[in-house]
Amino acid sequence: MRAAQPSVASRIAERAFAPALLGPVTLLYLAFLIAPIGYFLAVSLLKYSASAMYLPSVTLENYRRLLFDGYYRQIIYNTLRMAAVVTVLSLVGGYALAYFLFRMKSRWRSILMFLVIAPLMTGVIVRTYGWIVLLGSDGLINWLLQLIGLTSGPVQMLDTEGAVIVALVHIMLPYMVFPIFSSLVSQDPHLAQAAGTLGAGSTRSFFEVTLPLSRSGMVMGSALVFTLTAGSIVTPSLLGGKNVTMIGPLIYQLILSTFNWPLGAAVAALLVLCQLLLILFYFRKTRRGY
Amino acid sequence: MATDSIALGALATRNVELRQKAASARRWVFSIGIVLLYVFLLLPILVVVVSSFSPDQSNTYALSQASLRWYREFVASDDFVNAFKFSLELAAVAAVVATAIGFVTAYGVTRCLGAWRETGQALSMLPMMVPHILISLSLLLLLTFLPIPELAALVIGHVLICLPFTISGIAASLEGIEPDLERAAWTMGASRWCAMREIVLPMAAPGVLSAAIFAFVVSFGDVYIAMFLSGPDMTTLPIQIYSYVQWQSSPVIAAITTVQIVMIVLFGLFIERLVGLRAAMRI
Repeated sequence: MRAAQPSVASRIAERAFAPALLGPVTLLYLAFLIAPIGYFLAVSLLKYSASAMYLPSVTLENYRRLLFDGYYRQIIYNTLRMAAVVTVLSLVGGYALAYFLFRMKSRWRSILMFLVIAPLMTGVIVRTYGWIVLLGSDGLINWLLQLIGLTSGPVQMLDTEGAVIVALVHIMLPYMVFPIFSSLVSQDPHLAQAAGTLGAGSTRSFFEVTLPLSRSGMVMGSALVFTLTAGSIVTPSLLGGKNVTMIGPLIYQLILSTFNWPLGAAVAALLVLCQLLLILFYFRKTRRGY
Repeated sequence: MATDSIALGALATRNVELRQKAASARRWVFSIGIVLLYVFLLLPILVVVVSSFSPDQSNTYALSQASLRWYREFVASDDFVNAFKFSLELAAVAAVVATAIGFVTAYGVTRCLGAWRETGQALSMLPMMVPHILISLSLLLLLTFLPIPELAALVIGHVLICLPFTISGIAASLEGIEPDLERAAWTMGASRWCAMREIVLPMAAPGVLSAAIFAFVVSFGDVYIAMFLSGPDMTTLPIQIYSYVQWQSSPVIAAITTVQIVMIVLFGLFIERLVGLRAAMRI
C-alpha cells in the first residue's frame, strides 16, 4: 500500500536503476578494452609499411614469418619452454605453501598469508630489482658462495636463463598459491576424515582425496602463471640481458623500436591464442567428473 | 602357533613404528621445505631494504656503517622525486575512479542480475584475464587515430587493470550484507537509489575503502600499462626505475624501492585490519 503515486521522474529513475549501475563498466570495457584489442589483433592480418604503420591489404605473411622464420620460431619455442618450467616449479612450491596455509589453524595463519601476499603487492619491478641485487657479482649469493669457499671469484649469474627462471618463479608463486588455497578451503573436510576412518594413512588420503579434489585450483593457477610468464617483459630483459630471448621483449622491440605493428600484433595474437587454449583446457578439466 | 602369533605381533608393531618414523621424517622434510620457500619469497625484498642503507655501492657491509646516503640521493634526484609524485597522483585518480565504478558495478552484479550473476561476475574480471601488454598496446594504437590525450589513455588503462580488484573486493563485502535490509527500506518508501546510498554504502564502507587501497597499490606497482603509455612528462616510478636499471644499478634504487615497500606493507596491514586481506583479495 503506497501513500502516494510515485512521480514519473522517480519511476524512470527506478527503471533505469540496473542499466545505470552496469552501464559505465559495460561502456568502458567495450570502448577501451574489447574494441581496441579486437582492432589491434586485426592489425596482425595487415601488411607492414615503414611509412604508414600498416597498409590496408589483408595478408597472412606476419604469421607465416613467425612460424617459419628460424629466428622467431626459436624465440617462441624458448618462451613456451621457459613458461612451462616456471609453471611446473611454481606449481610444486605453490602447492606446498597453499597446503601448509590450509592445514595451519592458529592465528599465525593470517600473518603467514600476509607474507605471501606482501611480495605480490610490491609489484614486478621491485621483485626483479631484488634479484638483481641478490644475484649480482657483489651480491649476497656470490658473497655467501665465496664465504663458504665454493668459488674463489664471483660467479656470473645475471644475464642467464637460470636467473630469469628463478625470479619468475618468485614473482609467480603467489598467483599459484591463492587458487590452490581456495580449492583446498572449499573442499568438504569430512572427505579426508572419511578416508582416515576407512583406514587410509595421511599420505594416501592426501594423494587419493585431497590432491585430486584441488585439481581445479591447480589448473587455474597454472593457466594464470603460464600466460603471465609468457607475456613478461621486465624480468627477462633485466635479468636475462641479451642471452635470454622471450616474446615479451620481442613485442616491445617490434613496436617501440622498429614500429612493425603488424608483426608485433601477430606475436601478441599468439600469446592470446595460447591463453585461450589454456582456458579451454581449464574448463574441460574442471567440468569433467572425478 | 603361539610363537607365530607373537612374531607376527612384533612384526606389526615394528611396521607401525617404521611407518610413524617415515611419517615424522616426511613432516620434517615438509617443514624445512616451507621454511625455505618463505626465505625464497622474502629474501629478495629484505635484501633490497638492507642494501638501501649501504655506505657504498656494495650490499654487504657492517651494520655500524649503515648510512642514509642513498635516501639523500633519492630526495635530491628530480627525476625520481617527480616520478614518485606522478605515480602517487595517478594511483590516487585511478583508485578513486575504479572504486566508484567498482561499487556501482558490484552492486548491480550482486543485486540486479538474478540468474546472470555468475556470468556478470566472470565478465567483470575481463581485464585480469587479458595480458596487460595487450591492453596497453591496443590503447596505444587507439591513440594514433583517436584525439584523446595520452594522459587520459594512461588513466583509463590503470582504471581497467584496477577494476577487477575493486569489483570483486566490494562484491565480497556486499554479499555479507543482508538484502532484506534494503527490502525493508523500500517498503518504507525509500527508492532503490536511496537504499543503496543510505543503507548499503555505509555498511560496505570498510570493504569499499580496502578496495580503494588495493586499487591504489595495483596502479602504483604497474609496469606494463605505463610502459607503452607514459610520455616524457608523465613517467611513473616503476618505468623510471626500469629505464634506469637497464643501464646501471645503484643503491639509490634500493632506497626508493624500500620507501615503496614500507608504504605497501602499511597499506596491507591497514587492509588486514579493515576487512582482512583474504576477504579483500577474495581468496
